[in-house]
Amino acid sequence: MGYGMGVLKGMGITFRHMIETYTIGFKLQPSAAGDLPAPTGVAGGMPTVTGGMQTIQYPEEKLPVPERFRYLPFLLYDEEQGHERAHFDGVRCTACGICAKVCPPQCIWIVQGKGDDGKPRPVCTEFYIDSSICMSCGFCAEYCPFDAIKMDHEFELSSYERHESWVYDLQELLHPVAYHAAIHPTDYAREVEETRAKDEAKRTRDAAKAAAAVAAGGDPVADAAAAEEAKRLKMEARERMLAAKKAKEQGGG
Amino acid sequence: MTPIDLLTPPAPPTTTRPAPPSRPVVDEPMVLNIGPHHPSTHGVLRVVVRLDGELVVSADPDVGFLHTGIEKTFEAKTYVKGMTLAPRMGYLSPIHNSLAYVLAVEKLLGVDVPERATVIRVILAELDRIASHLVFVGIHGLDLGASSAVMYTFREREAILDIMELVGGARMFPIYIRPGGLSSDLPPEFEAAVTDILDRLPAAIDGYERLLTNNVFWKDRTVGVAVISAEEALALGTGAHILRATGVAYDLRKCAPYCGYEDYEFDVPVRTEGDAYARYLLRIAEMRESVKIARQALSRLPSGPYVTADRKVAPPPKHELATSMEAVIHHFKLWTEGFRPPAGEAYAAVEAPRGEMGMYVVSDGTAKPWRVHMRSPSFVNLQALETMVLGRQVADLVTAVASLDPVMGEVDR
Ligand code: SF4
Ligand code: SF4
Repeated sequence: MGYGMGVLKGMGITFRHMIETYTIGFKLQPSAAGDLPAPTGVAGGMPTVTGGMQTIQYPEEKLPVPERFRYLPFLLYDEEQGHERAHFDGVRCTACGICAKVCPPQCIWIVQGKGDDGKPRPVCTEFYIDSSICMSCGFCAEYCPFDAIKMDHEFELSSYERHESWVYDLQELLHPVAYHAAIHPTDYAREVEETRAKDEAKRTRDAAKAAAAVAAGGDPVADAAAAEEAKRLKMEARERMLAAKKAKEQGGG
Repeated sequence: MTPIDLLTPPAPPTTTRPAPPSRPVVDEPMVLNIGPHHPSTHGVLRVVVRLDGELVVSADPDVGFLHTGIEKTFEAKTYVKGMTLAPRMGYLSPIHNSLAYVLAVEKLLGVDVPERATVIRVILAELDRIASHLVFVGIHGLDLGASSAVMYTFREREAILDIMELVGGARMFPIYIRPGGLSSDLPPEFEAAVTDILDRLPAAIDGYERLLTNNVFWKDRTVGVAVISAEEALALGTGAHILRATGVAYDLRKCAPYCGYEDYEFDVPVRTEGDAYARYLLRIAEMRESVKIARQALSRLPSGPYVTADRKVAPPPKHELATSMEAVIHHFKLWTEGFRPPAGEAYAAVEAPRGEMGMYVVSDGTAKPWRVHMRSPSFVNLQALETMVLGRQVADLVTAVASLDPVMGEVDR
């Protein structure tokens, strides 16, 4: 086979693909009227049409991303106060610090809140994530035991300044739960189901306890007070231990 | 006026020019640097070539431009955090790198992996292999001036990367495989997406073959070029397509099966020419075999847990956190400290797209590995470069590098 034939054969293949962009792909393109609909031939982040022209008119059109897509983390707050998972101002984070511990490049910085009595409380007053260090691994979202941090689908984050604007503070990180429910429907369904199961388990447990207390002739109110007292003593012991530990650390330099 | 005589040659000039000063004849090869920033060097590879005219006298690959210190970083991270590093090393075969690391860690821990997780690992590994070979075919074409093949190979590769994104949330670094199993169960769209790409691949591969396999330019530049013999390939420790193109049927999936590869029916394609064309044909054939394996795995995908029930290794499912105090304690302990494999060492190797990808993990009983070392196939294969191009035209060096298919992140780590 001569070189000329080689050229012609190769050109023939590319030419056929070019024709396909008009016969298959052209139909997919948005109307010339100017209104750009969501790209067709795409389902759940997976293109379903595989022949012809596959151009997406970014940024007017965007390919939807799959639910598990992860870019940067964000923090959740519950809009309705008094939600079972909400701790403080609706912010779910308890400042437990697990996310900061598991973060491989260590780009999370949390400041735990303190009550008026100076004791630490399960709230975060400051929360920073350095997005220029974050490697988008998703470990923080995976291992947060309180479903307080999730991975965002937003990926257009360029900015004119590359120091301060890349360190996200608490206000920038907070998103309402409804946002999370919209981008992570499956994960949110699991969460709702767990909350329901947990409530139910608690109710049956309480009912059983109350029944047992009544059966034993005890006073449920007094029992509850005793339990409170025990808990208080335990917390005090823990505080003492922590203070001792701190003193030791400081003493050790 | 006399007419100009154009027929008789002019008389030689009467003045004599001084003879040029005599210079010593330098009989020394020319040194030529190819790379590190050359489009055909697949990243930042510098090859110091010494040339006698057009012929290569020596070719030294100079590596280290992409050194990231990943091996060392492993020592400062817990075992699970190391999962984020393994795929970043070989960015064209992230699943295989993760798999080698995870298999080594699992060996240290002595943990059993559920069947479902193993089968899913096989599916992803084969998709990973196909995606990597697609890059090879496309970029090899690009290096030799056949620039349309890459458009078509990347179309299919994109579909595979979409599947990675679907299961693990990221195209290149899904971090989906974990010690003890997987990070989560498959999403419901998975099977349809994999079936779809597996159905399309055979026809798509035919398409690449129509563009390249019998193309006269392609054959001119690859047949009989960058030849290596079986003895040399074995002595240099090369693997995968380089070794198998010389007639040695060495494939870890057959020789030292892992992840239950012994239960799948597939062939190991072998050729005997040892040249770049044979390597190309092998990779085309391997993609077809991978489609077969992935199909078999998909058809036998069992139901069941996707991660081990060993709470020392894998976290408890989130719904247990709400009800069980024990689960919360495991969870906190696991993620604030990490698990501690018993002191010892483990080596696990997988047949990565470029050859034997081995991970050697040494534990001193703490939560962080004492040492992690990779036997990365790209690094070993690169040593065959000089053997392939010695005494050949310098233009063949491009073919040799392209058909070695090195990933520089894996070479330098
Ligand atoms: S793991 Fe969750 S609750 Fe704990 S500090 Fe991080 S975001 Fe807050
Ligand atoms: S995604 Fe990974 S790197 Fe980024 S903040 Fe979370 S744990 Fe850290």
